[in-house]
Amino acid sequence: MILYDFDLERPNTLEEASALLRDKGADARVLAGGTDLLPNMRVEVVRPATVVSLGAITPRDPVRETDGTVRIDALTRLATLEGSDLIRAACPMLAEAAHRVAGNQIRQMGTLGGNLCQETRCLYYNQKHDYQFKAPCYKRGGEVCYPYPNNDRDTCWSVYMSDTAPALIALGAEVEIVGPGGTRRQPVEQLFTGSGLTPHALGAGEILSAVLVPPAEPRFGWGYHKSSRRGGLEFGMAVMAVGLTLDGDGATCRGARMVIGAVREKPIRLTATEQAMTGAKLDEAKIAELAAAAAKEINPLPHHGFTKSYIRDNIKIHMRRVLSEATARARGTGTAENGGHHD
Amino acid sequence: MNQLNYVGKSLRRKDGPDKITGRAVYSQDVKLPGTLVGRLLRSPHAHARILRIDTSKAMALPGVKAVITIDDTKGIKHGFVETPRYPPDQEVLARGRVRHVGEEIAAVAAIDQITAQRAIDLIEVEYEILPAVFDPLEAMKPGAPEVQPTHPKVRAEVPYSNIGGRTATGWGDVEKGFAESDYVREDRFESHLRTHGYLEPQVTLAHWENDKLNVWTSSMGTFVKRAKLAKVLDLPYSAVRIHKTYVGGTFGGKIDLYSHEYCAARLSMLTGRPVRIVATREEIFSAYRHGQPLIMEIKTGVKKDGTIVAQQVRAINNAGAFRGSGVVVIFLAWGFTMIPYRIPNLAYEGLSVHTNNPVRAPQRGHGCPQIRFAIESQLDTIAEELGIDPVTIRLRNARKPREQLPNGDNVHEGGLIDCIKVAGEKADVVRRYGKGRKAGGTVRRGIGMGVSGYFGGSLIYPNGSGVIVKMADDGSATVLTGAIDVGQGSETVIAQIVAEELFLPIEDVKIVSSDTDTTPQDIGAWISGMTYVTGNAARQAAGNARDKMLQLAAQRFNCGVDDLYVADKVVYNRLDPAQSMSYRDIIALSIATRRGDTVIGEGFWRTMRDVPTHPSLATTKGRWSENYAFSCQTAEVEVDTETGEARVLKALTVHDCGFPVNPALVKNQVDGQVSMALGHAFLEEIMMKDGYTLNPTWLDYRMPTIHEMAESDDADVITEEYVVGKPYRTKEVGEGLVSGVLAAIANAIYDATGVRLHSTPFTPEKILKGLRQLERERRERA
Ligand SMILES: Cc1cc2nc3c(=O)[nH]c(=O)nc-3n(C[C@H](O)[C@H](O)[C@H](O)COP(=O)(O)OP(=O)(O)OC[C@H]3O[C@@H](n4cnc5c(N)ncnc54)[C@H](O)[C@@H]3O)c2cc1C
Ligand code: SF4
Repeated sequence: MILYDFDLERPNTLEEASALLRDKGADARVLAGGTDLLPNMRVEVVRPATVVSLGAITPRDPVRETDGTVRIDALTRLATLEGSDLIRAACPMLAEAAHRVAGNQIRQMGTLGGNLCQETRCLYYNQKHDYQFKAPCYKRGGEVCYPYPNNDRDTCWSVYMSDTAPALIALGAEVEIVGPGGTRRQPVEQLFTGSGLTPHALGAGEILSAVLVPPAEPRFGWGYHKSSRRGGLEFGMAVMAVGLTLDGDGATCRGARMVIGAVREKPIRLTATEQAMTGAKLDEAKIAELAAAAAKEINPLPHHGFTKSYIRDNIKIHMRRVLSEATARARGTGTAENGGHHD
Repeated sequence: MNQLNYVGKSLRRKDGPDKITGRAVYSQDVKLPGTLVGRLLRSPHAHARILRIDTSKAMALPGVKAVITIDDTKGIKHGFVETPRYPPDQEVLARGRVRHVGEEIAAVAAIDQITAQRAIDLIEVEYEILPAVFDPLEAMKPGAPEVQPTHPKVRAEVPYSNIGGRTATGWGDVEKGFAESDYVREDRFESHLRTHGYLEPQVTLAHWENDKLNVWTSSMGTFVKRAKLAKVLDLPYSAVRIHKTYVGGTFGGKIDLYSHEYCAARLSMLTGRPVRIVATREEIFSAYRHGQPLIMEIKTGVKKDGTIVAQQVRAINNAGAFRGSGVVVIFLAWGFTMIPYRIPNLAYEGLSVHTNNPVRAPQRGHGCPQIRFAIESQLDTIAEELGIDPVTIRLRNARKPREQLPNGDNVHEGGLIDCIKVAGEKADVVRRYGKGRKAGGTVRRGIGMGVSGYFGGSLIYPNGSGVIVKMADDGSATVLTGAIDVGQGSETVIAQIVAEELFLPIEDVKIVSSDTDTTPQDIGAWISGMTYVTGNAARQAAGNARDKMLQLAAQRFNCGVDDLYVADKVVYNRLDPAQSMSYRDIIALSIATRRGDTVIGEGFWRTMRDVPTHPSLATTKGRWSENYAFSCQTAEVEVDTETGEARVLKALTVHDCGFPVNPALVKNQVDGQVSMALGHAFLEEIMMKDGYTLNPTWLDYRMPTIHEMAESDDADVITEEYVVGKPYRTKEVGEGLVSGVLAAIANAIYDATGVRLHSTPFTPEKILKGLRQLERERRERA
């Protein structure tokens, strides 16, 4: 139960919503599916005085534009993405990522825009503070950081845990943003600041209106894995997403995007490993080497009871599997190694 | 009476339709006009003196109807156990000091949730923070912060601080036993902090009206709740009525009296209005009672053939700030040590250590999963050292039927040997064991086995159950029973028994249950004895009503009762087929000729007629149970040796539960316990730091969902011995089966990988660490 009073607005368009947000200032939040915002209001890590519900706005179905770009409204439900023939054909990694989020009930409510704009998480932060951890932490506007008592940099090492963001970055997707100054587009990567305190780079009154996934290049392959303890209805311990293309020889990597989510304040692109990969022949040994390099390049935050070293160990193995899946898909030979998913 | 119509059949649960359709009324669904919302103020500190409480601002807030603190109580203490050695130790609200985060300090009643929350925020408390201790081994050290003084009797025995209770017992001569052993080994195991995970929250609605307290509360036994609540309120039991409601899961966590129950009642008495308090999930995870984490040191000596000669066991319990069931689990861990195997020489010590953690409650198995995990793990290690297979070493030590236990109990038809044999055969253990480790590849399989024994229906307040069967004039029956259906199916089982005894269609049996004013006293759903104790009371009550009717019929027909038989509520004379009389007519006759006797049957049951009370928690002296159930379980696991991720592919439970009154319900119990063991083994863990709970949510306290459930097979081994005609020799099937399978999982992981895990949960991290250690050792050897 949310134990404080707030106002609720229900605009009919995103533009109206944007105007409302700007008018109400920092005390307003948009509500899409509510599966992140409402729990956060319940534990009072956010206390918007005004909630601007987007519930009156109906998203359009995902469409393929003339240049092959897939356009997905930000208000599209995750369950719609999982089940959409278009998404499964044009960007199956996104369908897979959407399917990995939480459980079915939440995917029926949760939207893609909300998934990207979800708050970062930290065990100390995501709970009610009426008697536990009473003194607010930095992210709540206070003066302490519980997991990092020596954190004197007034920073916050909470973790951004969206399952779809790594996939979208690996696909080279963009977001469309509606704001006071009109509409703008930017790569999904640039949506994130890297700060746990204010993880999203959205200006006052800005709202995500759509996600745009470019058409896949020839000999493109993808791999995705969400490591978690339970295997479902759970945030990730680490989320790995890779999109790569091969040369005509079906072995040499022409380019790659390698992204790890749920281990830092934003999804991390492993640019050094991507570079090492480009031009390399992706055989079994090379893939293992690259996965090891990826595990070294990433510097995970320990979170939700997982240690830094185990997260690394886990990434090293699953990244290898993800890479070999992506390579096999790029070759058109299906999955080479079963990723060990628990369905 | 040789053919059974209802007992022994998998009849549909009586509560099924209500629950499936959402019609079932739980405590939270009971609506009374004018109900106030109650909330509790809880301690933000693990250990602090309370210097001042000022409730005036909260009282002054419009909409606030009452605020209470310790000053509004009578200062009467309560406890999970209340014995001369362990008297009640806890007040209903904190007095001058708080000893754990979340301890209850004050309560408010207000017109709505938001006002209640504001009132809580307005209560001013001044604290002086005291040093706190969370780890039991730290707490035992001299000079550790004193959570509670060491029990005066224990002080003379051991030099440790913060000891709330001690159990010390044994027999034979362990030193001599170790000396005579061919092989002795010592291991240390730890079982971590878990919680029950009941879906229905803790909730109480109380209404004081006309000098009577009416209470609806989520519990495991309304009579225990009545006794404790009446006591702390200083009311006669008859002034407190606990009503029946459906209960949404308990698993041991809803036995004790909780502060919110007192507060709801007291606030209602002060305001004259109904008051409801519902605990939030965060409160349940961070301030209510969890299960018991144990540290277990086991030293075992065996002969070359695996025969156990001596065992020394020490169990240390992180008991939290008050006694709770902490002093019980250290007694029970002894019991679960000694039941399954013959141990000629035993030395046992259990210590319950106070720390600045929340208080502990029983949790399904109450010490059994923990101690069996330890003993069965060590037994496999011993077996391997001696070159014996897991089945043989267990058979060598298993108790035989009719064996006498050292405490004077008898295992009667205890079927442990059969359980081990059947489980071994069905899971093909001997042939498969040891193969996994040698197999190549990164995904390895292993098989493991574990054994446990459990008691049923022991003596603890209220010690016995009564049942009344009232015949209606149409020949149908209403059963009054105090038994509470917490989801285990007690109403179904009792209805089956009554239907059987009265030859009634099951639809003609209606149950009125667990209302302290209208039903007889009952032991409650928490000592693994409801089918046995209350079931036998129901059998007697129904038999009593039946006999009254048959006697009348026999008189009328001028024959013996044995000459009669019943079909479809009509009594026939076997000797003269022309003679028959319906129940309806017999009841009318009874009323007419027996001065209005409407035919009411009564029945009572209590375990162990000749035993005055439960055994001593300190010395274990005294008899404990006449119902020992045994089981042997196996688990087949698959381990990814690169990531350390493991899962159970298949579990097998072979048990000896006595006569299964409802086999489908037995199967439900088996599956539920396997699922709970999976949670214990892999997923569930209350993470705490400095007395604060880090994961007080369903999301971060990971319980297995239906997707994590392993295939679960089961078989019972001994039902044939329970002769038809006395089909009520039931034993235990609701708690003990978390244990063997937990141990089996540990043993299976070892079988797959060679990694011996000494602590739960079996995380990928621990498995990987173990594999690396093995790799290092292999390299060093090479
Ligand atoms: C039990 C549980 C499990 C979960 N598991 C997962 C998981 O495994 N993986 C995962 O990724 N997430 C998980 N979530 C988080 C959440 O459910 C999902 O991320 C979901 O997609 C959020 O979408 P929503 O529409 O419900 O967001 P909302 O709650 O409506 O919004 C979330 C945030 O984004 C903002 N926002 C929403 N839409 C827009 C927009 N169009 N433009 C700008 N800002 C916007 C809101 O103001 C709010 O701050 C879980 C949540 C719960 C409760
Ligand atoms: S990491 Fe961030 S959210 Fe967590 S306690 Fe520190 S400041 Fe707060």
